[in-house]
Amino acid sequence: MIVVVLIAITVITTLPALGGVHIDLGAIARNWANGSERIAKLFHPDPSILPRTWKPLLETLEMAVVGAALSALLALPLSLWAARPSNPTRSRAGVRAVLNVVRAVPDLVYATILVAMVGVGALPGVITLVLFDLGIVVKLVSEAIDSADASYMEAGHAAGGTQTQINRLTALPQTWPVYASQVLYSLELNVRVSSILGLVGAGGLGRLIDEVRGFYRYGALSMIILEILVVVIAIEVASNYLRKRLR
Amino acid sequence: MGSGDHAPEGIPASGAWPIHLEDVIVRYPNGVVGLRGVSLSIAAGEMVSVVGLSGSGKSTMIRTINGLVPATSGTVRVGPYTVNELGGRRLRQVRGGIGMIFQGFNLADRASIYHNVLVGRFSHTPTWKTLLGVASHTDREIVMRALDSVGMLEKVWGRAGALSGGQKQRVAIARALSQEPEVMLADEPVASLDPPTAHSVMSDLKRVNTERGLTVLVNLHLMDLARQYTTRMIGLRAGEVVYDGPASSATDADFEAIYGRPIQSRDTLGQ
Amino acid sequence: MTTATLSLSATRAAAPVKPRRLGVRAAKLTVGLVVLAAVLHLDIGWSDLAELPADLRHYLDLMFAHPDWSRLPAAFYQTWVSVSMAWVGAVLGVVASTILGIPAAQGVAPLWVRLPLRGLFAVLRAVPEVIIAIILLTVTGLTPFTGALALAVGGIGTHGKWTYETIEAVPAGTAEAVRAAGGNVLEVARWGLWPAAAPELMSLALYRFEINVRTSAILGLIGVGGVGDMLTGYTQYRQWDSVGVLIIVVIAVTMTIDAISGAIRRRIMRGARARDLDRTV
Ligand SMILES: Nc1ncnc2c1ncn2[C@@H]1O[C@H](COP(=O)(O)OP(=O)(O)O)[C@@H](O)[C@H]1O
Ligand SMILES: [Mg+2]
Repeated sequence: MIVVVLIAITVITTLPALGGVHIDLGAIARNWANGSERIAKLFHPDPSILPRTWKPLLETLEMAVVGAALSALLALPLSLWAARPSNPTRSRAGVRAVLNVVRAVPDLVYATILVAMVGVGALPGVITLVLFDLGIVVKLVSEAIDSADASYMEAGHAAGGTQTQINRLTALPQTWPVYASQVLYSLELNVRVSSILGLVGAGGLGRLIDEVRGFYRYGALSMIILEILVVVIAIEVASNYLRKRLR
Repeated sequence: MGSGDHAPEGIPASGAWPIHLEDVIVRYPNGVVGLRGVSLSIAAGEMVSVVGLSGSGKSTMIRTINGLVPATSGTVRVGPYTVNELGGRRLRQVRGGIGMIFQGFNLADRASIYHNVLVGRFSHTPTWKTLLGVASHTDREIVMRALDSVGMLEKVWGRAGALSGGQKQRVAIARALSQEPEVMLADEPVASLDPPTAHSVMSDLKRVNTERGLTVLVNLHLMDLARQYTTRMIGLRAGEVVYDGPASSATDADFEAIYGRPIQSRDTLGQ
Repeated sequence: MTTATLSLSATRAAAPVKPRRLGVRAAKLTVGLVVLAAVLHLDIGWSDLAELPADLRHYLDLMFAHPDWSRLPAAFYQTWVSVSMAWVGAVLGVVASTILGIPAAQGVAPLWVRLPLRGLFAVLRAVPEVIIAIILLTVTGLTPFTGALALAVGGIGTHGKWTYETIEAVPAGTAEAVRAAGGNVLEVARWGLWPAAAPELMSLALYRFEINVRTSAILGLIGVGGVGDMLTGYTQYRQWDSVGVLIIVVIAVTMTIDAISGAIRRRIMRGARARDLDRTV
């Protein structure tokens, strides 16, 4: 039964007549001569581009850091606001709904629109990352609060505390490890995302990628990809190390 | 373990509160009736145990007294306040005067012991001050003394999660004491502890009653603890009071009447 | 009031000194400095930020006050193209990840197979899908098929990792039993590991699809088609009332798919837990 449904959906989504994906192996054959030559260039990274990458790479990293930091600042109160134990009132549903909407818009779509609004540069990039991170961090942290033991909150109420007092003095240290770990995770994702935001004009390496792609400099492109690869993996390793120490 | 040996005795509390329940009925939202018309009076400074099987309504009764569970009908009076008529800031103020201890300790495991005990100062602290994370010198001093009086001052900067069960319950008692309460409620405070620790925590509670003169109401499901540590015993069965009299002279027959079944070995702690 | 009731002991033992955790302080300081340096060095006129809220209001007004509903049919059609891309990408990606992920699990294949596979996953994880699409389109052209392929290849990075992690989490006994009965690698995977890991993997595959729905809209921005393509066009020509419609459709479709897929995932996992109980009882 399930298999039938899965196959049916797959068939529908591959029917070009219905707007599905046209699986066009013929195109590959047609483009092969041309394309394979370019792909071959990918295997010969061109180091001469490197000096030009340092500045945008730095900008990429800075956007990632600032985006993660700003979203972390906002995510802490929002997470407490979005979880049941730390916010038993109705307003919780509102926060969650807004965040679901924020999460439903893909990162580069934010960037495209924000670039048109506030102009080319790092600012639309940072705002994009903040929105992107908020969606992830608040969701994961508030779910962690929801599923954690919250009996200490009852003690706070019994002592005559307000919810805000309880959240500040006890829920905060209680949530801290999960929160810090999710913020690190968002930083990891940010580096990946912010390296391509420039494709739509939002600063960082993406602008350079767009340029070398425009001139078919595939050797340079592969050098930049290698660079992103090294940075992303380095950040992932560092963040995994820090996360282990948080426990 | 008992740390009361250095404490001067007989200094009365500023004013313990009496507790009066009148025809209190508690019906939970799902329709279960926790209390069916309970009436009783506890004088200021009494040490009373509430005994009954699991599900008899002990927790419900104790939670109704500090308003954690709202009474469906009837009157709950604690000291000068009618708890069931209050809400918001006034209710929090009354709760500040009522300390509470839980079976599961209810500590924030990842927070320091200091911060856990500081919770007891909530009702004396404006919310914005808590938000800023600054505690007054007086609050700090009260926290330290409360920890000292249960013998846990040494650990003040450690994490609550690193303590043993008995130590956690002592910290929880310190948290309640730092409220400077007029009444102390305890919901099965020793049910998660081994027998020697259970006795020493019960002694601590007893001291709260004798040395500070607080009104103490403690839920127990073990008959020997009720006999040994409290003067008066209230028996609950299916949400109704079925016994109210002296604890030490309560007979096995009285307990069988409360439990509604013959006495079993698990009804006593032993030792 | 403050001292009246707590007169139990007028004097108390000295409290231990609060320990200074130098390591923690140093870490906090470092993080603070890095963030500060990034904020200061980044080329953003922080003073212009004051105008941001007004700007945002202005544009939100342009987009959502009077959306151009005549674009609705086209918007839905293009979103459907994106969703198709996401689905095909998920199917291809999950099949490839399963084939590559199982041998990457500890205890299935030898180290010299495992390590290169894991390396491949790590590399694919690090490269954004957009870049994979840019590379692929040199041979496949600017078509939704390229988008689907990019999603599939990019998905192998994460989904391959999830696959071997899930399989490694399967209790050792089941695989042992098949191996003891003389099963080879394929038979161990088919009869020992697959039944135990399948629900989790199915759930992850659906999750992959949810992620792809978002990413496919992004891929449209480089021209492979779908709602992202349409969005770039209208944004460049600043037809904000059409952009508004597109965003509303994207949000509605994404949230609907999330809700349906999430419900199915929860059911799969609940069924799996029930079966687990059957086995242990
Ligand atoms: N939050 C609640 N919602 C619904 N029913 C409850 C709740 N708490 C307790 N009850 C029910 O009320 C009755 C009394 O429970 P309780 O006061 O916890 O008894 P005890 O503490 O003596 O074990 C039980 O039948 C219990 O199931
Ligand atoms: Mg109980």
